[in-house]
Amino acid sequence: MADDKKRIKILIAKPGLDGHDRGAKVVAQALKEAGMEVIYSGLHKRIDQIINIAIQEDVDFIGLSIMTGAHIPITQKLMNKLKEKGITDKMVFVGGVIPSMDIPKLKELGVGGIFPGGTPLQETIEFIKSKAQKA
Amino acid sequence: MELIKKILDGNEASAARLISMIEEGREEGYRAIAALFPHTGKAHIVGITGAPGSGKSTIIDKLAIKFSEMGKKIGIIAIDPTSIKSNGALLGDRVRMRGAERIEGVFIRSMAHRGYPGGIAKATMGALYVLEGLGKDLIIIESVGVGQTELQISSVCDTVITVFTPDYGDDVQLMKAGIIEIGDIIVINKSDMPGAEEAAKDIASHINYEKKDWQVPVILAQAQRGEGIDRIIDALGSHLEYLKKNNPKGEYRAQKLRKLMFLFLKEELWVRAMKKWIDRNEIKGIVDMVENREIDIYSAVSQAAGIILPD
Repeated sequence: MADDKKRIKILIAKPGLDGHDRGAKVVAQALKEAGMEVIYSGLHKRIDQIINIAIQEDVDFIGLSIMTGAHIPITQKLMNKLKEKGITDKMVFVGGVIPSMDIPKLKELGVGGIFPGGTPLQETIEFIKSKAQKA
Repeated sequence: MELIKKILDGNEASAARLISMIEEGREEGYRAIAALFPHTGKAHIVGITGAPGSGKSTIIDKLAIKFSEMGKKIGIIAIDPTSIKSNGALLGDRVRMRGAERIEGVFIRSMAHRGYPGGIAKATMGALYVLEGLGKDLIIIESVGVGQTELQISSVCDTVITVFTPDYGDDVQLMKAGIIEIGDIIVINKSDMPGAEEAAKDIASHINYEKKDWQVPVILAQAQRGEGIDRIIDALGSHLEYLKKNNPKGEYRAQKLRKLMFLFLKEELWVRAMKKWIDRNEIKGIVDMVENREIDIYSAVSQAAGIILPD
C-alpha cells in the first residue's frame, strides 16, 4: 500500500570508547518493532560524527547509549555542538549506566529523556511517541 | 526558493530535509525537486546489489574512500528493508561505512524500503536529484538485495554492480532470471573463501549468453582488505566510457527514464483512483462479493476496472 507518511526517525549512537553495544542494539530493535526507523551508528563514534549522521539522516531523535560513566561530559559536548550548529529540532535522550544522582544534571544540559539500564523498553517507546506527537 | 539555494550551496541539512519530504510524499518537496532539476543529470549513478552479508556496504566504503582521494564528491543511498509487521526499520549499513563516514564531502543517507507501491525507485529518484543538487558527481545506491526491488534500482542507475560470494549456490541460481542480467559488473567478494576461482568461471560462463555488447567483468575481491577495489574502479570507468561512446546523446538513460515514468504514473493513477473510489458503494459491493466467495477474483477485477475506467 501507499506508505509515505511521516515516520519517527531515530539515531541510536555509541559515543566514545565504549564497546558495549548489547543495550543499544536491544533498544534499536525494540524501536524498530514499535514502527520507527532506527539508524544504528556502530561503535566508537566521535561527537561530530554523531551530529553529522543526525544531519544527513534527518532524524527526529538522537539516543546516546553510554556505559562508561562518562555520560555527563559526553552529553555536554553533544549538546554544546548541537547549539553551536544551530540544531534545535532534534531531541536528545540518554541510556546506559546512569546513576540516579546524575539525572538532574543531564536534564539541566537539555536532555529530553533519561533511561538508565533496567528501564522497561515500553517506557522508552512511549516517551518517544509522546514527544514526536508534540513536535 | 530558500531550500534550493541552500542545497546548491552545499548545505547538507537542507538536502537531508528535502529527501525526507520526498520520502513523505509532500507536495512542497516535489515542487523543490522541479526547481532543482535543471542542476541534475551529470553524476554517474552506480547501483550495488547482492545477497545480505555479501559485503555490499564494505565495498561501498572502500570505493568511497578511493574515489574521494581521486577528488570525486560521493553520495551514498543505503536502502534497507522495512518490517512487514511493524513498518519500522533498522538501518544499519552505516556501521560498515566507517571510513567513508569520516570523509568530509561524503553524504550517506539510509533509506527504509517502506513498501512503496511503485517501488523504492520513487524516493530513490528524489534522493538522487537532491544529491546531485548538492554537487555529488558519483552516487552509489545500495539496495536491499532481494527480489523485485533490484530491477527498479537498476532503472535509476547507469551502472549496476552485483556482488556474489563464492558460496552463492549452484548454477541453477545463476540461471534464474534477474540475478545475472542486471549486473554490468560482477564482483566475487570474500574471494579468500574456497571455490572463488571456480565461482568466477561459473558466473562468467553464464554472463556471456546475456550481454554481447558490453563484456561484463567478473572481479575477485576481498573488500575488507581493500583487494580488488582498484579493479572495480577501473571497471566503473570503462562502463561509463562504454555508455557514453555507444549513446552519445544519453540514450541509455532515455529508455530507463521512460520505464520509470510509467512506473510512477502507475502508482499515481492507483493512488488517485483509490482516493476517489475506495469508499463508493459500487466498488464496495464487488469487494463484498469477493470476500463472500460469490464471484472469482478475475471477474471482480474486470467489473471494478470497468466502473473506474469504462471503455
